[in-house]
Amino acid sequence: MGRLGWNSGYIGSDQRETAAGAVGYSKYYLERLNGRFNPVLGIDPDAQAFFDRVIAAGGSLTTTEKIAVNQLVLDIKSYSIWTKMKAIYPMVGASAAACAQNLKSSSFTGTFNGGITYLSTGVQGNGSTGYFDTTVKPNQQLSLNSTHISFYCNQVPNVGNANLMGTRLNGNAYLLITPSYPLQNGAFYTSNNSYEVNRGGIILTNLGFFINTRTTSTTSVLFRNTTKYSYSDNSVDLDTGNIYLLGSNSGNNTYRHNGICAFASIGDGLNDTEASDLYTAVQTFNTTLSRQV
Amino acid sequence: MIGYILTQEQYEQIQGKHFAPYECFNCVQDINDVWFTFFSDQQKETISQTDWSWILELPTGEYVPKPSPPFPPF
Repeated sequence: MGRLGWNSGYIGSDQRETAAGAVGYSKYYLERLNGRFNPVLGIDPDAQAFFDRVIAAGGSLTTTEKIAVNQLVLDIKSYSIWTKMKAIYPMVGASAAACAQNLKSSSFTGTFNGGITYLSTGVQGNGSTGYFDTTVKPNQQLSLNSTHISFYCNQVPNVGNANLMGTRLNGNAYLLITPSYPLQNGAFYTSNNSYEVNRGGIILTNLGFFINTRTTSTTSVLFRNTTKYSYSDNSVDLDTGNIYLLGSNSGNNTYRHNGICAFASIGDGLNDTEASDLYTAVQTFNTTLSRQV
Repeated sequence: MIGYILTQEQYEQIQGKHFAPYECFNCVQDINDVWFTFFSDQQKETISQTDWSWILELPTGEYVPKPSPPFPPF
């Protein structure tokens, strides 16, 4: 690369075109440092606040992770779904301190319980004692007819049950994502503020990005990546337990798994377009981190 | 899966307690109602630097889980 006649400046446009229109793009400052150019991010303030929380907690992030998280925030905002989020767990930093932090805000910093492994590819349970308590309670933070939860699984569990996330304390209505696993004989359950229903052997893998969303009182929808499964499913009640990741909150140590979570979110219901946009943003995020499936 | 075996007293001593700012102990009973707990290698390193390091000296054994409750029928 030839030498340039300036010490600093912008490179790239401030916006990039997508099917949704022009969206914000990370602006890169190039500063000459000892004869080499180093990229320095123009950072979204919410992304920077997350970075600050990670550091204050004793964690750390690589430059690649910061770039990926910053772009994730820009993309989610450009799709107008940032305000629908209550909690976003990007699972970066490969430590409890970093992975416990909520990207959306300083609320709902979670706690890891039991055996957990923190990886560059996400966080992994152990199928028995390990889970993450988000502290988000559906009956306090979510709405009966507008709720979503999402979970990006990039390694299939081979121990435990495949409750990817959720809570099932109420007895009347749960909030769950439970795709197939051999130990459940091909059963596949979802629940969104309603009864837990076996949808049959429709989805035969735990890999991918699952979004469980409700935007009406009569229908719930599950997306696995870009494939949509819609269910006539009346809302009943909001569960009273904290939403867990790597298993569901069932009041005991059942329904945990040892797959890997590479992203999770909780918030208001997402319509089809919003769910598709979230998938696009999260897939881009995980691809940047080389941990996509 | 190999885990650390706890007495009832040890279980009551650690269950739900923090061993690090964002990590808590969690224990589970096996098929014989014996208490077990498990740690990743990262967590063992963390725990070894705390007053909880005695847990890493406990006897270990093979954990056999209790059968999970059945899911609701289709």
